Amino acid sequence: MPMDDLISRALDLAEVKGAAYCDVRLVEANQERFVVRTGVVDTISNDESLGIGIRVLVNGSWGFASTNIVSPPEVDRITSLAVEIAKASARSSNGPVSLGPPVTSRGVYTTPIQTDPFSVSSAVKLEILLEADRRMGSVKGIMARTGNLIFIKENKTFANSEGAHVEQTIYESGGGIMATARGNGEVQRRSYPQSMRQQGCAGWEFVAAMDLAGNAERTATEAVALLSADQCPSGVTTLIVGASQLGLQIHESCGHAVELDRVLGSEAAYAGTSFLTTDKLNNFQYGSEHINITADSIRLPGLGSYGWDDEGVPSQSTPVVQNGRFVGYLTSRETATGLGLPSNGSMRAASWNRIPLIRMTNVSLEPGDWRLDDLIADTDDGIYMEMNRSWSIDDRRFNFQFGTEVGYEIKNGKLGKLLRNSTYTGITPEFWNSCDAVCNGESWTMWGIPNCGKGQPGQLGHTGHGASPARFRNVQVGVMK
Amino acid sequence: MMGRQAALALLDKALSYSKAQETDIYLSAQNLGLSRFAGGEIHQSVAHGDVVLNIRSVAGKRLGRATTNDLSDAGVQRAIEAAHQNALLMPEDIEFVGLPAPSGAANVESWDEATARCSPEIRAKIVQGVCLQGKEHDLNVSGACRTGVQETAVVSSRGVRAYHAGTFAGLILNTMSGTSAGWAKGGSWRLSDLDTEALGREAVSKAVAGRDPVAVEPGRYPVVLDTYAVDDILEALSLYGMGAQAVQEGRSWMNDFIGADGATGVQAMSPSISVWDDGSASNGWPVPFDAEGVPRQRVNIITGGVVNAPVHNSYTAGKEGAVSTGHQANFTGGPIASNLFLQEGGSSLEDLIGSTKRGLYITRFFYTRLAHNKGCVMTGMTRDGTFMIENGQITHPVKDMRFTQSYVEALAGVEYVGSESKLVLNEVGFATRVPALKLSSFNFTGVTV
Repeated sequence: MPMDDLISRALDLAEVKGAAYCDVRLVEANQERFVVRTGVVDTISNDESLGIGIRVLVNGSWGFASTNIVSPPEVDRITSLAVEIAKASARSSNGPVSLGPPVTSRGVYTTPIQTDPFSVSSAVKLEILLEADRRMGSVKGIMARTGNLIFIKENKTFANSEGAHVEQTIYESGGGIMATARGNGEVQRRSYPQSMRQQGCAGWEFVAAMDLAGNAERTATEAVALLSADQCPSGVTTLIVGASQLGLQIHESCGHAVELDRVLGSEAAYAGTSFLTTDKLNNFQYGSEHINITADSIRLPGLGSYGWDDEGVPSQSTPVVQNGRFVGYLTSRETATGLGLPSNGSMRAASWNRIPLIRMTNVSLEPGDWRLDDLIADTDDGIYMEMNRSWSIDDRRFNFQFGTEVGYEIKNGKLGKLLRNSTYTGITPEFWNSCDAVCNGESWTMWGIPNCGKGQPGQLGHTGHGASPARFRNVQVGVMK
Repeated sequence: MMGRQAALALLDKALSYSKAQETDIYLSAQNLGLSRFAGGEIHQSVAHGDVVLNIRSVAGKRLGRATTNDLSDAGVQRAIEAAHQNALLMPEDIEFVGLPAPSGAANVESWDEATARCSPEIRAKIVQGVCLQGKEHDLNVSGACRTGVQETAVVSSRGVRAYHAGTFAGLILNTMSGTSAGWAKGGSWRLSDLDTEALGREAVSKAVAGRDPVAVEPGRYPVVLDTYAVDDILEALSLYGMGAQAVQEGRSWMNDFIGADGATGVQAMSPSISVWDDGSASNGWPVPFDAEGVPRQRVNIITGGVVNAPVHNSYTAGKEGAVSTGHQANFTGGPIASNLFLQEGGSSLEDLIGSTKRGLYITRFFYTRLAHNKGCVMTGMTRDGTFMIENGQITHPVKDMRFTQSYVEALAGVEYVGSESKLVLNEVGFATRVPALKLSSFNFTGVTV
């Protein structure tokens, strides 16, 4: 049976069984992974996953069921199961779910790419990692090296009982290397282009442009240099946060905090809630006047880029913080309706077998006016930190602590000596309100985070975060003693 | 659910498609039902089933991989061929010693028919019950109730042939007032083992006692860690160093406590700390074999505070001329100790608190992350129940605090070990059975709003 007929069959059966709303996602995902560890090819793998997920509203409550067997009898079974689950959910309900205006999107979207990553041979891909590994291994003092590449192609068809029917092909490409050095009673690491890997909604050209091999020796040399670097001092000082680290800072302290399902308590037992409660919308100074943060699903190569979300809502751009003022959430149809707003299309599921949740799109700090060189020259005394090594934040997204792979002392407007075990900590709104400068577009990069955990059963989301370096005053640094 | 016969027949058929020198196939199948709730209502309730074939193909000293959930003949053949082609692409790895030889796995009991058949209605009744408990104290209750079946099977051209089916059940509860929160978590392979009412009481009592917390200054405090916090310590020590891959790469906390010749005998922690991994123990999370079909051996990782040895898969063991301990938990990645036990002591929780002149009673850690490999330095928050102890009594709740602390150093300062242990089972099959601990010092580096 053609797939569209199968989808129609599920929508029809759900209606017959009493569903007031139904949506169906049919997803076929293909993934290539390459991992090299210290001179050895650890993994070459091709991973395929195909399945269908059906979500229904019955008696005002949600039910969801999914299967990897895409056949008429199995689709009938899980449609009936989703209805049964929804009826059980209605036993514990505070009132019917309202989705607001119907969504009737129709169309086709494909990630714009130059070269299909699946058209490039595995041998070429592997050689990039092996060459990077050889070059890292040429640096004395390196104990372990890793390199990885990943390529994803996801074909997804979404349809709902309101008339929406969209087809999307999303491509992702990513890669990264890391060198670990041990000596002087220390263990230190350096990564490139960022921790774990850099990943984007893009084709082969995204990975080719990284030049992993060309950056391998420098990366390894910096890891070894960290072994004998001074420890990051403890105290309160001026901090310039590099673009990659700031991407994760945005992710943890802003992106998660503006997920409206968290705000309303849906994630309380697991990931937590948010201090950005609804009374603060348009009524809270989240950061300084220099802080402008946008959530969008259109800015490539951000990992949160697509044509429609998993409720069929079109991709779009939403201001989250304007001149420091908190002005917007990431929303779903259900949560937005509760605030009298339209959804801004932020619902995504990690797979056919997961229910869509509000996920970060591309949540980015807009560029400011400063060139990085000028910003450093303008800083008398402080520290520059870059590339994440550890991250932690409390369940309301207030208290955070980050560690970075490298730090550099700033003295009299110049970068000074290398610092190891660099850390900083703070309280989210205090931190963002202490920002007095954001660098311009020259040093602005869209970073990809492919491992954002949320939900039960767990889902790994893929999010984008554009950022350029920014300066923060009176920040507590050097927490490691 | 597939069942033994269908699972092994599928693997046999898949194996017959392989032209490789050696092949093994790891089947992982799950049927899950999960109901999430918040604000007194179920807001997400799901069911899913999936069967994944994880294929490894050997060509000399080369190993290729592929996975698929397309179980049609064409789908399986495509994945088998992809794994073979991937192997041919690899450079030779002189340390690869081949796929594991067959050996008999222990029989473990972890199947419960009632758990396997649990309906969404039964989960909804559990949710209603615990929400009512919270409502009686004006608390907002949220959480998740899950039940299901996990099947694993391994068949290889070397003769490995293993199958296991187990059930699982879990309940996570969070209770919140305007100023406080509580938490409880229970898990077992048998739904009837979950005392959901007791879990409700536990979560409610913390939120009720935790109302109107006060901030205390960061610094070093003696602490009494209840079982969920101790579980976090063992989980971190496992993830960041109890596997042989991390040790061989020099990034494990164990590297500083294993002699240069690999000999054991270095004291890292208090003599009262003994930790082992045992997948066959009935009071843990029984799993008879790993993703390579190797029986899970008991491994004494720390004995009397002395670091012994990490756990192995067949590759890391082969590099050392040793035998796998059966700890390849997933299809890829290194070996993981995921069925951990911490030896109980002789003190009650009341004894631990009573022995503390001024310190903190911590029920749970949250969002803990590795800050530095050496000593397994972690940072994270307390959450859902943190209290001040003064003169042996809990005196008042405190606001959540951030810590930055070496977990190895923390366990060097164990003063008392609780006499009762709790099985703490996370969502992806990682389990610990741990008692409460009294530690002489823990480093708090911040406090939240």
